[in-house]
Amino acid sequence: MDEEYDAIVLGTGLKECILSGMLSVSGKKVLHIDRNKYYGGESASITPLEDLFSRFNAPKPDETYGRGRDWNVDLIPKFLMAHGQLVKLLIHTGVTRYLEFKSVEGSYVYNKSGKISKVPVDEKEAFSSDLMGLFEKRRFKNFLVYVQDFKEDDPKTWKDMNPNVTTMKTVYDKFGLDPNTQDFTGHALALYRDDDYLNLPSLTTIKRIKLYSDSLARYGKSPYLYPMYGLGELPQGFARLSAIYGGTYMLDKPVDELVMENGHVIGVRSGKEMARCKQVYCDASYVPDKARKTGQVIRCICLMSHPVPGTNDALSTQIIIPQKQVGRKSDIYVSLVSYTHQVAAKNWFVAMVSTTVETDQPENEIQHGLKLLGPIQQKFIWIQDYYEPIDDGLASGIFISKSYDATTHFETTCLDVLDIFRRGTGEDFDFSKVKHDLGDEDQ
Amino acid sequence: MALTKVPEQKVILCGEYGVGKSSLFRRYAANTFVSSSDRQSTLGLDHYERQYKVNDKFIKLQLWDTGGMERVASITSSYYKFAEAAILVFSLDNPASFHVLSQHLLDIVTYAENAKIFLCGNKSDLGAQQVTDQDMETFCEQCHNLVSATYRTSCKTGQGVEEMFSDIAQHLVQANRSRLELQAMDTDSFKITPPGPEPADPSCLCVKNVKCCCVVG
Repeated sequence: MDEEYDAIVLGTGLKECILSGMLSVSGKKVLHIDRNKYYGGESASITPLEDLFSRFNAPKPDETYGRGRDWNVDLIPKFLMAHGQLVKLLIHTGVTRYLEFKSVEGSYVYNKSGKISKVPVDEKEAFSSDLMGLFEKRRFKNFLVYVQDFKEDDPKTWKDMNPNVTTMKTVYDKFGLDPNTQDFTGHALALYRDDDYLNLPSLTTIKRIKLYSDSLARYGKSPYLYPMYGLGELPQGFARLSAIYGGTYMLDKPVDELVMENGHVIGVRSGKEMARCKQVYCDASYVPDKARKTGQVIRCICLMSHPVPGTNDALSTQIIIPQKQVGRKSDIYVSLVSYTHQVAAKNWFVAMVSTTVETDQPENEIQHGLKLLGPIQQKFIWIQDYYEPIDDGLASGIFISKSYDATTHFETTCLDVLDIFRRGTGEDFDFSKVKHDLGDEDQ
Repeated sequence: MALTKVPEQKVILCGEYGVGKSSLFRRYAANTFVSSSDRQSTLGLDHYERQYKVNDKFIKLQLWDTGGMERVASITSSYYKFAEAAILVFSLDNPASFHVLSQHLLDIVTYAENAKIFLCGNKSDLGAQQVTDQDMETFCEQCHNLVSATYRTSCKTGQGVEEMFSDIAQHLVQANRSRLELQAMDTDSFKITPPGPEPADPSCLCVKNVKCCCVVG
């Protein structure tokens, strides 16, 4: 350990592993340390099942749960947008070769009546949807056509609304969409967590809806992908990328101190050893004094022996409960994966209900989500503090990632990573540095 | 009948740091040998594929190296996933590297349940052979004949290396004959591949100046 590195990365969560991989590929000498003896931190998929139970101080699972090591349970549920940032990163770094994916079968949205409906994404689905009345369907169709034809660089497609100025609210009003339609468009298609976007320029929202439909076009059933064996495979894939480009890995290694000199980091101390470095990249748990708590996320892991009622027995699903439908300020998310993804023993399902905490009784806040699931064999509730760095890291050389938010996909995760990389290295990541053909060539 | 793709078989190298896994990998990939541990020569090299012909059947062995992760940390469980074969490598002049193999064997059966397992004593060119054939045989018996075959190799001279990989190819063809026929049944999972050529899409949620938008054809 007593060597000099360009960068030391602390924690092997997904963000840190992507950064470690990008830094190694860029020719930096990287040391990557985790205090745990497993990869992934909070992005790990917990296996065997006994470890999940003991993590939450529950008595050992009985034999109905099958073989413990057939389970790989995520702590932070997310899906990949098939056309999103993470997929681009996976492709361009070649990490996709370590993984296999399945398409998530269905995407649903909850409405006031307490029912869930399939999210309509094209004209045909819009017309058969039970979410809207007949005239509203027509208006929604016109809106979808507008979004599909929209081109950022072609004002002719803007329909006389400058997307950099006109608010999304105005766009909705122009198409005459009623509040319910606005609600599922903003929350289930554009994937906003609250309604702040209504008063912002419409460009971002239109792009988000296009991302949704482009992702959907890629693999069919839904815009989401999920990796076999769980999300914990993702950080491991990037860790391997880092290692094959020369990164050094140390697990089960306590980090006692970030050694500073004139306000800038010069190394990391573990016991009596010290590794010198020019920069540190880490999650907030390694530098509690340099991050501030800005909120909380509640997540409830549910082990069940059946799919979610009303989803056509889908083996994987996402359900979004838009805030307004249940009188909240932020959405509730439900995700479900199953034994077909090698994350549970035969015939078992893992559902997760999560949301941003708004009250001092967070467990009551997820009731609307839990009610949709039917009987639940085992529940684990986890409330996680959400941290953000207090500064951009340029002065100290310590670059801190934000905690994982309640969103159900990885778009914000990747934006944070690309932003940290740019702050840390002063440049954007050059994907051409990855020789990802090398291993795939025959002879 | 439709054209059948030449099946790829993921083969992983397992064992302690310094027993010669990367040397085996280099022999396999480039048929070269470097005496000191020179990470540079495999830097960025992830895995390497070669095609073998066994009784008129083609099979592709895709050999994976650890990337040196085992040096201080442990190898990721991902490394083992989807492996069809695992080679337990030890150094013939280092009994400790042999005795610790039961631990590596445990990792293999945990994370790559269906992988066929092979045992390889490397550095056979060195004079002082401290692990004997008898020791290897005893090991195989102790682990309930999970080991399909044993080999002795020298990456320095190249002796036994090619023979080992051809023999493993043979084992895998036999083991897979029945499985390949079954395989068509449950595989709706897939690898993500770059999307085909399409018009540049200025609307994709792309961070400014990042070249991630341009699609690799």
